[in-house]
Amino acid sequence: MKAPPAPDAVRIPARRPRSRRARWTLAWKAVAVAALLLFTLFPTYWMISSAFDGRATGGAQSLFPAEPTLENFSYVLSEAGFGTFLRNSAIVAVSTVVLSGILALFAAVAVARFRFRFRTGILMLILIIQMVPLEALVIPLFIQVRDLQLLNSFLGLIIVYVAFSLPFAIWMLRGFVAAVPVELEEAAYIDGASWGRMFWSVLLPLVAPGLVATSVFAFIIAWNEFIFALTFMDSPSTYTVAVGLQQFFGENSNEWGYVMAGSTLITLPVMIFFILVQRRLSGGLVSGAVKG
Amino acid sequence: MTTPTKVGAARPAPRAATGPTPPQRRRPGRLRLSTTRPWLLLAPALAVLAVLLLWPLARVVLISFQDYGLREIVSGRSNYIGFANYAEVFADPALWTVVLPNTVGFAVAAVGGTVILGTLVALLLASLDRFWRTIVSSAVMVAWAMPAVTGTYVWIWIFDADRGIVSQFLQGVGLLDEPHNWFTDRWSFYAVVLVNIIHHGFPFVAITVLAGLLGVSKEMLEAATVDGAGAVRRFFSITFPTLRPVFAVVVILSTIWDFKVFAQIYLQPGGSGSNRSVFNLGVWSYVESFAQNRYGFGSAIAVLLTVLLLAISVVYVRTLFKEEK
Repeated sequence: MKAPPAPDAVRIPARRPRSRRARWTLAWKAVAVAALLLFTLFPTYWMISSAFDGRATGGAQSLFPAEPTLENFSYVLSEAGFGTFLRNSAIVAVSTVVLSGILALFAAVAVARFRFRFRTGILMLILIIQMVPLEALVIPLFIQVRDLQLLNSFLGLIIVYVAFSLPFAIWMLRGFVAAVPVELEEAAYIDGASWGRMFWSVLLPLVAPGLVATSVFAFIIAWNEFIFALTFMDSPSTYTVAVGLQQFFGENSNEWGYVMAGSTLITLPVMIFFILVQRRLSGGLVSGAVKG
Repeated sequence: MTTPTKVGAARPAPRAATGPTPPQRRRPGRLRLSTTRPWLLLAPALAVLAVLLLWPLARVVLISFQDYGLREIVSGRSNYIGFANYAEVFADPALWTVVLPNTVGFAVAAVGGTVILGTLVALLLASLDRFWRTIVSSAVMVAWAMPAVTGTYVWIWIFDADRGIVSQFLQGVGLLDEPHNWFTDRWSFYAVVLVNIIHHGFPFVAITVLAGLLGVSKEMLEAATVDGAGAVRRFFSITFPTLRPVFAVVVILSTIWDFKVFAQIYLQPGGSGSNRSVFNLGVWSYVESFAQNRYGFGSAIAVLLTVLLLAISVVYVRTLFKEEK
């Protein structure tokens, strides 16, 4: 610890008083980093550790799994029907991604590439809709979906999730479409391409990264959503993962090993997806929101 | 495989043509199509938004003026009773002593907590070298990626009365004599929710502010350092004003999210209706509607929540962007 300041002091004597402060700053930073790592990672670590702990359900929990086992996972997947919940969630999430991706891309091209009457009005509408609390729409949507006989069906959830992910997806894709130089489109026209051909061969490949980021966002919305899945689905065969977890909670005893094993199964795909695209996601949020 | 070559071939062309022609060439192609095509492209998305967001938004207002129960749901008939639901909501002492304080107080604490912690983490990240920045920001991502539902269960497990690690740790060091149930008392109930929400919400603030920090002029910061300004002074005199739009977005979005917290409260023990002292607007509305079948009354609460949120958004957007000018 003593070595670094000395040569520094020899070279630039004026900096000498600062080197002690620099060391303090370094120490503070180390403490801050350690505390931050603990706070951010501990819940995830605890979830995974408990999921592998054979005794998490019975009691006596230590920092490391006391009896490492896969039993919690095998119980959750086979007997508790978590496989069905995972499949249901995957069906709902993938359908949501595909539908909202298509609709949002078309809409984004419209608002990013064309000047037309009410364009600003439409943009404002999309922005305002994004601020409406979806929780406030549970009652009318429940009644609407019930009237359409879509309670307990995947379709009912899918159309609702598509609607939820659309405003943000349009807003974000709009930035990606606008970033494609118009000159490229013109070049395609000069080469004799129709609008459809230009869209397919020029625009689509160039906004593909944006489409991936938006899709992941829509996937996460659909995969994690709780309140509508809770309200619409009332039979275990149609539960999504977020609702399915609830069944491990008994009146008096909570099967924590099972709950954490289920949670781990839900969390891992989301975490992998999320970390893959987070840069684009946060960038899109800021550019879409700030530059308006 | 044909697409990339196509794009690659197209790229040099516009550069060659950037000379005199592009403005004229651009216009006719666009104007000719711009009346119908954008609307065709927008139509499906607008239809979905209209049917599934705008109409329900209107409908929740309509239902809030009705005595809407199971009978009305089954028959589909309307049953208007004017402002009676709203009168009942506003006359309910629980609104003023429990629900509003829970909603507003929690939102203030949670937004303050997430924005302050997020900003501090962003400043920390900006000062780290590349290696540590990657490590810390990956850890932050892990916290962000934790789904709300599973995250809530993990926090409940951590604070579990009998076998939770916090309870056991506190008993181990002698701060607690017997297992303590954190979820019965309103304050400790919300303290757990607060930890949960901050853990889940600060990464968005940190990453967004960090992106903004990269845009802050280095020369200005250095000049200020030379002039003798400390780190705090530099933050409030240079960094914060530059980042004002970023903070506006972060604060607005956090406020909106924290005002309507639902799963994190509903899933905690007692949060789904048995402990009325922990209700916030969203949970109250949900329990009244789906547990009591009082959809009209629940809708009135939902409308109140929506109006509050929209009012807050408008006020924030106005003040923060006015100051900027």
